[in-house]
Amino acid sequence: MSRTAVQPIGSAVLESTPVVQVLSLGKVIDDRPILQDLSFEIARGRYVALLGANGAGKSTLLKVLATLIPPTHGQLLLFGRPLSRETTAFRSRLGMIGHGAMLYRDLSALENLVFFGRLYRVADPTARARELLEYVDLARRADDPVKTFSRGMVQRVSIARALMHEPDLLLADEPFAGLDAPSRRMLEQMLQRLHEEGKTIILANHDIEQSLALAEQALVLRAGRLIINGMTAGLDPDAVLAEVSGS
Amino acid sequence: MMAAFRQIVLMTGKDLRIEARGRQTISLVVVLGVLIIVVLGMGLGAGRPVTGFGATAILWVAYLFGGVLCFEKTMAVERNDDALAGLLLAPVDRGAIYAAKLLTNVILMFALAVVVTPVAILLFRFDLSAHPLGFALIMALGMIGFAAVGTLFAAAVSSTRLQGGLLAMLVFPLSLPVVIVSTQMMRRLFQEGEPLGGTGLATLLAFDVIFLVLSWIVFELVLEP
Repeated sequence: MSRTAVQPIGSAVLESTPVVQVLSLGKVIDDRPILQDLSFEIARGRYVALLGANGAGKSTLLKVLATLIPPTHGQLLLFGRPLSRETTAFRSRLGMIGHGAMLYRDLSALENLVFFGRLYRVADPTARARELLEYVDLARRADDPVKTFSRGMVQRVSIARALMHEPDLLLADEPFAGLDAPSRRMLEQMLQRLHEEGKTIILANHDIEQSLALAEQALVLRAGRLIINGMTAGLDPDAVLAEVSGS
Repeated sequence: MMAAFRQIVLMTGKDLRIEARGRQTISLVVVLGVLIIVVLGMGLGAGRPVTGFGATAILWVAYLFGGVLCFEKTMAVERNDDALAGLLLAPVDRGAIYAAKLLTNVILMFALAVVVTPVAILLFRFDLSAHPLGFALIMALGMIGFAAVGTLFAAAVSSTRLQGGLLAMLVFPLSLPVVIVSTQMMRRLFQEGEPLGGTGLATLLAFDVIFLVLSWIVFELVLEP
């Protein structure tokens, strides 16, 4: 695997330092509190499921963690450092898969990956892009425009885009949405493989049972508040569903 | 600085590659520009000689409407499939994203001018022979100022449902100083025979610099992931 040319910040931080530290974090949008008084930590290499009903604040929390939007109050530390400084440098250690593919549909899969690779200053973006297209089993379609791909294929290219710069923290916002069963299975396996390679993964997902089976830690949100933060091994899906729905 | 320059070139290259592949923006913008010139020609009586001053006014109508369409289409590329979020996630300065989008828009507007201006010259028998370079310089500076404002507001309204109409309503009044100054300069150049330069050129340059700097600064605030 090639390394990015950018020297990532926090590279000297101890292995034991949590990748994410959130302290009394809140986000207000249009006078409406979307996230309220969140505090939690995520250890390096952890696979975390972020659960909650629609409107619970999962996507907003992921956007805050991805540095796309700033928190209204509270503190966010990524890789042991406060987010208020060097935001651009943090971004070289983050990867995100979102609702949208975050790709240019008129460009080929390879062109998309090479473009993003150059933005992240990956040493050899073409070689890295080809390596990742092999990884997501799309090497044969490398030169085809993304607009000719199925939803599942687009999602795999999107994962390759998120991994171009070898991020330490991967944020996945509903990545299974709209996928058929084989594509879901392939994506599950891909995320599991990344976890085994030591990546920290935060997966926002509607499917509680699937999430609890995949992840090690669960963060459950209700109306912007953190109501459960624990290891998935001890959690019952039905009990989590009851908490999510507030019943 | 070099890193930002490299990113601007990369992002502009990406935009132009997408445009070259589909020609979705330039074909629409050029067709609209030519249509406007033809409609104005029919209304004003094509074939009558038009002075540089009148030429500027007619061309500005085509450039303004073509420009708004251009700004909207180039920003729509970023909104499709949430591609803009991919850019915002990358370690790229927001100002560089603005500069790249502006550069793309200026290049496409120059392409529009290259097609539309000869059509207008043929139709109206524009006589630009006295000061062709002066004409090109004034129009280029005017277009850069217009594109500076248009690129900023295209990003601001691209997440709303109003888009086209709203963009025109916001950009046209703000671009008025550039249009007025450039038409006045053209009148002085072609009708009064004043040499190019002095306060007119300085004013136009000042508008460009102000619009560019302000837009660069506030661009981050108008971007919505």
